[in-house]
Amino acid sequence: MHQWLSKLLARYTVYVPTERDGQTHWHLLDPRDLEETPDRVAPAQRRIRASEPVKSFMFQPRQRVAGFPEPLPLPESAPRLLLGVKNCDLAALRVHDKILGEGEFKDPFYVSLRESTKLVVADCPAPEQSCFCNLLGLTPFAKEGGDAALSVIDGDWIFEVGQTGQELVDTAPELFTRLAGETTETKKRDEERSAAVAALNMTNARPWNPDLPGAIAAKLADDSFWRKHAKTCVECYGCLMGCPTCYCFLLYDQAKEKGLDRTRVWDACYEAAYARVGGGANPRAEFIRRFANRFDCKWNQFKRDHGVYSCTGCGRCFKACMGKIDIRTVLGEL
Amino acid sequence: MSNPYQPIPAIILKTMDETPNIRTFVLKPEQEIPFLAGQFVELTVPGFGEAPFTPSSSHFRRETFEMTIMKVGRATGALFSLQPGDVVGARGPFGTPYPLQRFEGKDIYIVGGGVGLAPLRALFLALTHEPDKYGRIFLRYGARTPQDIVYRSLIPEWQKIPKVDLDLSVDVSDEKWMKRVGVVTCLMDDIPCDEKKSIAVVCGPPIMMKFVNQRLVDAGFQAENIYLSMETNMSCGVGQCRHCRLGPYLTCKDGPVLTWAQIKDIENPFV
Repeated sequence: MHQWLSKLLARYTVYVPTERDGQTHWHLLDPRDLEETPDRVAPAQRRIRASEPVKSFMFQPRQRVAGFPEPLPLPESAPRLLLGVKNCDLAALRVHDKILGEGEFKDPFYVSLRESTKLVVADCPAPEQSCFCNLLGLTPFAKEGGDAALSVIDGDWIFEVGQTGQELVDTAPELFTRLAGETTETKKRDEERSAAVAALNMTNARPWNPDLPGAIAAKLADDSFWRKHAKTCVECYGCLMGCPTCYCFLLYDQAKEKGLDRTRVWDACYEAAYARVGGGANPRAEFIRRFANRFDCKWNQFKRDHGVYSCTGCGRCFKACMGKIDIRTVLGEL
Repeated sequence: MSNPYQPIPAIILKTMDETPNIRTFVLKPEQEIPFLAGQFVELTVPGFGEAPFTPSSSHFRRETFEMTIMKVGRATGALFSLQPGDVVGARGPFGTPYPLQRFEGKDIYIVGGGVGLAPLRALFLALTHEPDKYGRIFLRYGARTPQDIVYRSLIPEWQKIPKVDLDLSVDVSDEKWMKRVGVVTCLMDDIPCDEKKSIAVVCGPPIMMKFVNQRLVDAGFQAENIYLSMETNMSCGVGQCRHCRLGPYLTCKDGPVLTWAQIKDIENPFV
């Protein structure tokens, strides 16, 4: 394994999930890690998604996007590899692809980082109580997308590689053995996958209203419903910053001599001034309207516009919430 | 791939004070911005921020364009301190233009309030440039006082254009004012076109839009024939950042002009 990682490091900037203080975090792999902390890399592959959403790598929290009067050159990104993305984060990137990577206006900074990044999607054999990807129709392993799928079984790394992932194997083909048909390893992998699905179905047994968009639209003006669920919210925006699908941003201009630097920064729709116009009018001046708006945006409008929910069940919003607001409870009552 | 966030330089050729807090800027962009009436441009005041404005000049002449802007906030405040020769940033055009093909052969009933006449002027100039294509053009405009009327020097010329019927009101008159006194709906007691077939176009402050729209609906205008300029926080301009969302619409992409048919089910759209 480490021989392969060494080869990959010659070609890519490599990020792997590692465990720190009981949480999983993305870690920039350094050649020295392979010598000094070799045991860190493999076990973390079996943990749930990292605390940091994968969007951070493509849709960066702060990205300089324009200069004036001299225009900013279009970006060029070096090859990167994220080794151990979870399926919930992969699904979340599809939300970003729709908004920033498709259509008439594309975000060239997002597209450049996205296209230069290889994604290896690792199975999620031990979903936690905060996970609910099953309610969004997702599985705790990759069914499609990504460049390769990874399962770590008894210390062996099993890869399924498509066309775009072949170059990862080609960095050191001598280290790989081709598995033909069903083997003890693939059998165990499939059992683990089934067990993970079963665990999720047990944790989140009751499906949401099949017409969630319609149910939200019908409840939108019912302040008492939203107040009941928002009462412990302290407006920290942790749920939005941690969300792997949220993509709201602000173009923030800073003066420089005779010009400006424009930075695209993450924004949060809970922010009081979020929808306020220049003249001061604000369609969502009250927090309760902004709270309801978040649900309307992610589980109603986005689904209507793009056919998918802007949520992948990663559970970061619940984990980040000081008020312990669980959106499963809110959406479950609709 | 182009960069939708990158403004191009535009030089301020001239400024004209319309009222004490509304000024028209004549801008010459480094490259032509191919706007159509109803679309908007994001204007950057270097170091102070960016805000969306709809050109108020004709889309048949685009090597320069005009924007009539009210001083309300940080970016517009800084803009008012700039002089001819200064350079601002511009990016666009963004949004959906007025569907002029739909307007062909029909009477157009335009209602403006305050600085809301600015985007309507671009429409008015597009319509009067090809008068044979359209029916009669009614323009009803209300301002707070006679001193708050924009394009004061142009209005007498507009009144002379064949097929144009123009009337004005002010909320508070002075001794020289000879026309109607009252909010702009006072000009709408008698609507001299066929409400069922005509097109109505409205732009003004939200409270004015709310009441004018109600009056148009009561008069019998079809919901899909009432075009309303919706004011929301349009930041990116390209349908990404989500600040301008109004119900199922992103105003910067689907608007800023939306029909009453599109927005009538949205709770309290005029804020």
